[in-house]
Amino acid sequence: MVKIADVKVGQIIKNEFDQITRDLLKDYAKASGDTNPIHTNDVVAEKAGLNGVIAHGLFSFGFVTKLFEDFLEHGKFGTLIEIGVEMRGMVRCGDTLITEAKITKIEGNRVYFDVSQTTITNVDIKGKDGAIVKQFEAGERGYISEKDIKKGLVKTKEVSEGILTYRERIATPGSAIVELKE
Amino acid sequence: MEPEEIKKNAEFLIKELSGKDIPGEAKLNCRYKTLTKFANIYGITDPKYVGPEEDGIIACHGFANAFTVKSFYSLLIGFKLVQDGKERTLLLNPGKLLHAGNQYNWENCVDIKNGDKLTVTAKWGKAWFVEKNKMFFAELLATVRNQKGEVVCNVKSNLGIRPGGY
Repeated sequence: MVKIADVKVGQIIKNEFDQITRDLLKDYAKASGDTNPIHTNDVVAEKAGLNGVIAHGLFSFGFVTKLFEDFLEHGKFGTLIEIGVEMRGMVRCGDTLITEAKITKIEGNRVYFDVSQTTITNVDIKGKDGAIVKQFEAGERGYISEKDIKKGLVKTKEVSEGILTYRERIATPGSAIVELKE
Repeated sequence: MEPEEIKKNAEFLIKELSGKDIPGEAKLNCRYKTLTKFANIYGITDPKYVGPEEDGIIACHGFANAFTVKSFYSLLIGFKLVQDGKERTLLLNPGKLLHAGNQYNWENCVDIKNGDKLTVTAKWGKAWFVEKNKMFFAELLATVRNQKGEVVCNVKSNLGIRPGGY
């Protein structure tokens, strides 16, 4: 239950999705009518210099709307007034998409959010000897650029199988406004 | 394309587009299967969006994606201009078009229901040129109405066109 008295500036709501697959992008292409093959056909995407299919820009946007629909329990506690997003970074199959919204202002019954979608792209896991023990799609297809490395977006962390290399970057910054019922 | 031509084209488009209506309209039928498919893609299980057809479902907000890209392409494909006495299309190379951002507003809008027939009309908002990367940007302001003329969503879309594409 979400009431205006319960929300505070600084409060964060979040969802995470790690099931971006080629089949899901095909379903999305059919449903949205955006059938550009760079989203569904690796050969075409490679010819376009993309190294593999990329998700539709607006595919990620749906997770922003879902975040607020869940927050408002599908209209039970309020309405979604506005969402704005910028498409900055490509989202790929195998990425984990983290959608986060932070309350920046409350005016009357209106709650204002800063929104950001971050992608976590796993590259590979190396053993103690530095040899690759597991490679992910991003490593195989070369999704990580020199620019990503220079910008400090490529990081490592210890996991049970060894050292995981991954990229973390903001794919979609934005904002949103909801109106709560009471 | 030479840098002088890129700049000249950008200045022409800024003058020609800003605030002008885009002729024509795009249509979209909201079918039960499409509405539920959209909700399923995002894991939405509330019966309001995915319940039986006879119960009368509505579209989840993510469905806005369905009318944005499709309608914008169809409106832009037929969009023609006259520059230096010659007819030209807005996009000289559609492959250079980038979808830079979107803003959806649902204030005072009605829900989209199964069976609705939507009409999208649009006009140009601001248009500008970024000297540094020679990118041309324009706002597309669209209003989406149902068959009763009720507004279901207002959309502001930022389009970017890379050099050589305009």
